[in-house]
Amino acid sequence: MASLEIRNVCKSYGSVDVLKSINIAINHGDFLVLVGPSGCGKSTLLSMIAGLDEITSGELVIDGEVVNDKHPSQRDIAMVFQSYALYPNMSVEKNIAFGLEMRGVPKAERDKKVESVSQMLQIGPLLKRKPAQLSGGQRQRVAMGRALVREPKIFLFDEPLSNLDAKLRVDMRTEIKKLHQRLGATIVYVTHDQIEAMTLATRIAIMKAGILQQLGTPQEVYDTPNNVFVASFMGSPSMNLIPATVVAHQNSVAARLTSPQGNELILPLPQPERYQTWIDKPVILGIRPEAITDMSSAEPNNPWVFPADCQVDVTEPTGADVYVLTTLGGKEIVARMRSNCGAVVGQKTPFAFNMAKAVLFDPQTENRI
Amino acid sequence: MTHTTDDWRGWVRHHLPKLVLSPSFAVTLFFVYGFILYTGLLSLTSSRMMPNFNLIGFENYSKLWQTLNWQVALNNLAIFGTLYIVICGLLGMFLAILLDQKIRGEGFLRPIYLYPMALSFIVTGTAWKWFLNPGLGLEKTMHEWGWTSFKFDWLINSDMAIYTVVIAAVWQSSGFVMAMFLAGLRGIDSEQVKAAQLDGASAVQTYWRIIIPQLRPVFLSAFVVLAHMAIKSYDLVVALTGGGPGNATEVPATFMYSYTFTRNQMGVGAASAMIMLMTIAAIIVPYLYAETREQRHD
Repeated sequence: MASLEIRNVCKSYGSVDVLKSINIAINHGDFLVLVGPSGCGKSTLLSMIAGLDEITSGELVIDGEVVNDKHPSQRDIAMVFQSYALYPNMSVEKNIAFGLEMRGVPKAERDKKVESVSQMLQIGPLLKRKPAQLSGGQRQRVAMGRALVREPKIFLFDEPLSNLDAKLRVDMRTEIKKLHQRLGATIVYVTHDQIEAMTLATRIAIMKAGILQQLGTPQEVYDTPNNVFVASFMGSPSMNLIPATVVAHQNSVAARLTSPQGNELILPLPQPERYQTWIDKPVILGIRPEAITDMSSAEPNNPWVFPADCQVDVTEPTGADVYVLTTLGGKEIVARMRSNCGAVVGQKTPFAFNMAKAVLFDPQTENRI
Repeated sequence: MTHTTDDWRGWVRHHLPKLVLSPSFAVTLFFVYGFILYTGLLSLTSSRMMPNFNLIGFENYSKLWQTLNWQVALNNLAIFGTLYIVICGLLGMFLAILLDQKIRGEGFLRPIYLYPMALSFIVTGTAWKWFLNPGLGLEKTMHEWGWTSFKFDWLINSDMAIYTVVIAAVWQSSGFVMAMFLAGLRGIDSEQVKAAQLDGASAVQTYWRIIIPQLRPVFLSAFVVLAHMAIKSYDLVVALTGGGPGNATEVPATFMYSYTFTRNQMGVGAASAMIMLMTIAAIIVPYLYAETREQRHD
């Protein structure tokens, strides 16, 4: 258990900058998830924390100590790899004990630790088997056992669930979360799956093209995304991003949207002082699908809920809810309604916009206003 | 009409593979297996200069095992085979491990080690004969450079001549073994090496405990390839030492050739050929069996 600080860390291969001045700090017991599309540099950053990749510039600090020049084995970290990287020639037991053996832990103590870890992960009956005789989920557990047995300061996970099938992935996700809660360990976890990121993290770092886009708790990142990229990357279906214009409206400020029929839709904005300078300028209105509902699902006492009739283009039932698609400001937008809301394709139906959840972005810089 | 065309096409599609394969099948059957049987038959006859078919049972085999020359040949094969397989295997693996360190110029270095394999053993033998000849090659050069006490006369020393065969054969084959090991090393997940690093294993421990044990199938393949090359080696010995000095570098293949074709002892020669076949079969058959069984498991 330890704190981790990444200070102005850069990485370049020749003239190509893979990571640009990354700053992240987490406390001990935090679960940091690095998330982003492929090629955003998240795995490189993890390798650098592990010491498997060199740091071009900047500092990596574990527990107040700069570890840039420390060998991976001396950083007191353990890593779970995407391919699990179990040693195929050794039994499960030897795989788990190998790290202890290399550190000169006596045999009796090794056996005791392997025993307790295998109990925690329920892999006791598998100890004598070779990795080739295990299923994907069992290999995953062994890989975690190998990390746990060393009781390191920091655990690193490199897309550990991406090789599992959908059902098992959800189960293992829950198990990793339970493990984190039980051990209170510091974990850095890399994934490209934003649902994994939301469910597991206490802190999320969203990266794109080697640049940290936003660092925050899952709720912060979800509710107040820093820019259009974060807004559209986190959440499924992703946030509606509608071209709009800020207008003065009844002593306050509102967003003006146009429907395909040419009708104007005026939606008042909370925190009007924030948008004073943007009056009569184009913006992007960001609003999550669940903030647009049918009238009966809307919060009745919320003064920021505004109804508007919109044409239904498509309905996508998911069982619990139905996603209702309409067009506003030239963009297809998704609303999440109750499954019995009565929306009929081709007809108008009332949509309730919860503007308390709306955010505005600058269309030029794509940053939040 | 179309019906018969379809029938014809179907017949062709069904039989074409068999038609195409049948000539090579027939040729192999006749020239390989036919002649194995023929040699086996000859080994049971009193054939001398020309084949005849007077069956004399296993007399040729008992004669063969009493021949001093055959004892020398087997002894030489034991020395040559053991050293050749062990040195080639270890050197090939060592070179492969060095080349696998993501070094610059690997594409340039790899063929340098591999090219000797492209030479015929006759060329290798001749080149090494010149190089090791005391009056012509290494020793003479050293003397000319002023190191007059330098002595390297293994080629003409009947106790050491067999080791020159080992040197030349290792030079020729270790690059090939290296290529086999390199392919094996490339097949190992690089994340395992990273995991071993995090586990605190040194480079030597990583290779010894994790990587080399995974190369077991490569060791087996290398052994089988090298073993049968050792047993059938003929051209290298002929070109390098001609079996000499005296009979110091006689090996079973040269023994077989000289008894069958130059010493008018065709029956004994055929018997020695059968012994060689059985030795090779004893190595290859279990290997093929293990290979096919593994495939069935997958």
